[in-house]
Amino acid sequence: MKTIEDFQNYYENDLRPSLEILDGERKSSLRNAGLAGTLITFVILGVVGWMLTSGLPPTYMLFAAVGGGVLAFGAFVLFTKDFKSNFKNTIIRQVIAYVSEDLSYAPTGMISRSEFQSSTLFKNRIDRYKGEDLVDGKVGKTKIRFSELHAEYKTTTTDSKGHRHTTWHTIFKGLFFVADFNKHFQGRTVVLPDSAEKFLGRLGKKLQEWNVSRDDLVKMEDVEFEKEFVVYGTDQIEARYILSPALMRRILEFKRKMKVPVHIGFVNANLYMAMNIKKNMFEPRILRTILDFDLVREYLEDVMLAVGIVEEMNLNTRIWTKE
Amino acid sequence: MIWILVGIGVVILVVVFGMYNGLIGKKNSVENAFASIDTILKKRYDLIPNLVAAVKQYMEHERGLLENVTALRAKATSGNISSDEAITLNNEINKTMGGIMVAVESYPELKANENFKDLQRSLNEVEEQLSAARRSFNAAVTDFNNAVEMFPTNIMAGMMNYKRRKLFEIPEVERVNPDVKTLFA
Repeated sequence: MKTIEDFQNYYENDLRPSLEILDGERKSSLRNAGLAGTLITFVILGVVGWMLTSGLPPTYMLFAAVGGGVLAFGAFVLFTKDFKSNFKNTIIRQVIAYVSEDLSYAPTGMISRSEFQSSTLFKNRIDRYKGEDLVDGKVGKTKIRFSELHAEYKTTTTDSKGHRHTTWHTIFKGLFFVADFNKHFQGRTVVLPDSAEKFLGRLGKKLQEWNVSRDDLVKMEDVEFEKEFVVYGTDQIEARYILSPALMRRILEFKRKMKVPVHIGFVNANLYMAMNIKKNMFEPRILRTILDFDLVREYLEDVMLAVGIVEEMNLNTRIWTKE
Repeated sequence: MIWILVGIGVVILVVVFGMYNGLIGKKNSVENAFASIDTILKKRYDLIPNLVAAVKQYMEHERGLLENVTALRAKATSGNISSDEAITLNNEINKTMGGIMVAVESYPELKANENFKDLQRSLNEVEEQLSAARRSFNAAVTDFNNAVEMFPTNIMAGMMNYKRRKLFEIPEVERVNPDVKTLFA
């Protein structure tokens, strides 16, 4: 078992040298972005000045200011892009390698859209799908994969003047985790956060029974679990075979620790877990120094959170026929 | 006026039919769940001869246990036994199998045997499925019992002569989970 002291040593000996080089890169990219920003500001000021003397309407000036803002932001993204990708490729990669040599990392990779949909955790139509920071590999006997994902759908409305407005709605944003489950099964079982029962009690449960977009409701005997989650499945016995009393407890404890909504699906021999984590994980910071142990430690904690699911859900216990 | 009465009559009929069908549905799912337990029990019966064959050559001193479990299995698969008898028989089988698994501890060669390991995995799986089937059965019975005792379906249930059903209780000895660590140590 690795301790925090081990990681401190690793930080001092292996990460610190790379971090120092990268911090130089960070400073110079920030300087370049600053220069570009100043240049853009002067140009815009010049343009606005010319507009004032030539007597153009004030709306034009507003356009110029907004255009300048967009340009400045673009310059910032452009100048810091290389630093970000270098950072991920060295530091995040090293942190993941520290956790386990059996894990590989792809900064721009993601869990595929078809896999996300096959989990059946979210039923909405997907119009925009993004993701990054894919980690893939093995923890003990269990194959795992996880990445950040953001799936959205859009609605378009036309107002009285005929202008079309498109609004994007988030279906899921956070960490999406896939692991090879330790028991064989054929059907489909999903565990979703329970909102109806929490507020409506027995009536809510009745309503869940009539939910046509889902499979049959599976009523679990664990009262606390039932309060937090609702289970739907294609097979009553299989759902209980998968969700043993022990696993229900583990899921409940995990949910309480995470303090965010958790969706879990058991489909295609896999366990899928979607956690609505708000922060953007594995991102470097740009405005402040990266020579900071606590920053790197946070990356480690984020990786451990995902990798730890194997332990939390007891997936390495392979005492059933599935190896 | 007459239409209002007809309307009320129709509503009452719909409610009555709904309760009637709902109760029958619940009774059937109880029976269905019990049948599933039976299916999994059969799966376990099928594994017993394999287990006996696998351990026979190693276990000289536990012949009694092996003969016992074979006899119990024969009785259980002979057909025409009531469900109560089936449950008692299975509790017996559980105890004997537990005894065999404890005895396995003193045969390191047997524990290392790949075939035996596979068999043990299959047995674990059947046990887990059995527990799942029991829990499904209990969930179905609870649902049924709620309908039998709660107003207004209890009136209908009374007319249909439906009575509370018993949950599938697991005897105290059985409730001890198999200690995986010692099994695989």
